[in-house]
Amino acid sequence: MTVRYQPHPELRLSSLEGEGVVLHLGSRRYFTVSKTGLVILEALSTPRTLDELVTVIVERYEVGRDHATASVLGFLERCREVDLITELEGEG
Amino acid sequence: MPSGIQVRCPDPTIRRHVRSWLQEGRISPPVPLSIDIQLQESTPPQDGVPVIFEQPGVSVRRHPLDGKLSITWETAPAVAEFRSGDSCAHVILSPEAAKRIEDSTRTFMLTVLIFLLRRAGWHHVHGATAVDRKGRGWLFAGDSHSGKSTTAALVCSRGWAVGTDDIAFLAPAGERVEVRAFRSRIALRSGGRELLARAGGVPLPARGKMGFWPDELGGSWVPTVQPEIVIFTAVGGEHTRAEPLGPGDTLAQLVRWSAWVVVEPGLANEHLGLISRLGRQSRAYRVSLGRDLFRHPDLLSELIP
Repeated sequence: MTVRYQPHPELRLSSLEGEGVVLHLGSRRYFTVSKTGLVILEALSTPRTLDELVTVIVERYEVGRDHATASVLGFLERCREVDLITELEGEG
Repeated sequence: MPSGIQVRCPDPTIRRHVRSWLQEGRISPPVPLSIDIQLQESTPPQDGVPVIFEQPGVSVRRHPLDGKLSITWETAPAVAEFRSGDSCAHVILSPEAAKRIEDSTRTFMLTVLIFLLRRAGWHHVHGATAVDRKGRGWLFAGDSHSGKSTTAALVCSRGWAVGTDDIAFLAPAGERVEVRAFRSRIALRSGGRELLARAGGVPLPARGKMGFWPDELGGSWVPTVQPEIVIFTAVGGEHTRAEPLGPGDTLAQLVRWSAWVVVEPGLANEHLGLISRLGRQSRAYRVSLGRDLFRHPDLLSELIP
């Protein structure tokens, strides 16, 4: 089974000069997101696996794959805690 | 000057009062809007309809089946309904609410207006607007105790034009964003009047303040401002300080003071788009307003040249 991540349907994203604010219309809360977080959330315009998200980060920034994996996992966990993303399970 | 919002009500006193309030506000939305007011002994029950947003004295509910929004007033029974795709607010006032129609224009009817104008692409921001002597547009955003009104009155006394000290609407202006003012008197508490050494004004008893038109303070009224500078105000100590804000903090603050953005999913992208464009076209600062501003009233434009 492969887990893909996608934004919650009630998530709205706004960016300015590489920084962002994300709104959750369901919980009516908003959060600021870092430049890297914004890149990850923008990449989730199509559902992606952890591995694909890590690739997006290492191609964008000069960072090793292990470090990027830890960062992406941490960000996804924080997003999951406040319901900004959901997981899709599927084959392949 | 007609307001551009049609008001229908069988009761001539209520109709006249609401029209007069809107006319004084000088609001002219880009599409026809209307408020249909009915007087009834009781208002439709809202039991079981989930509250999606609350402000002091006002609750907003969304009906799960048809998405209809209803706004209720806590002070006296009154309900306004917005049906999907409709550019009319359907308002039902109880006799008690009808007697308090003037009070309602600070809370309930103001919220109705805010939701109605969203249907015309205008989105509320809790802020004051001004144009300085160089012609630069300013937006002062913050809550009711953040010094917006006192600052608006102060800059007015230095010859700035002021649109509003409290009720403003973001609106598209080509690729830019302008802020439309709902014209009302600048409302000063006794502390603000003392700092400004300002006597006179018109009592605003429901608010415990005195009201002044901009021209009574030495300035003028301006209906529309394209902000180049946005400041998020807070009352500080002795010295006024201005701290530039980064893009993420600017967006977060604009969302905070334009809080209805989270209420209607169908309008959130449009509202959020205006907030982003405003962030792009302006410089933003967090400003702590100090007492020195009253000894040195041009300090704000010196700190933010």
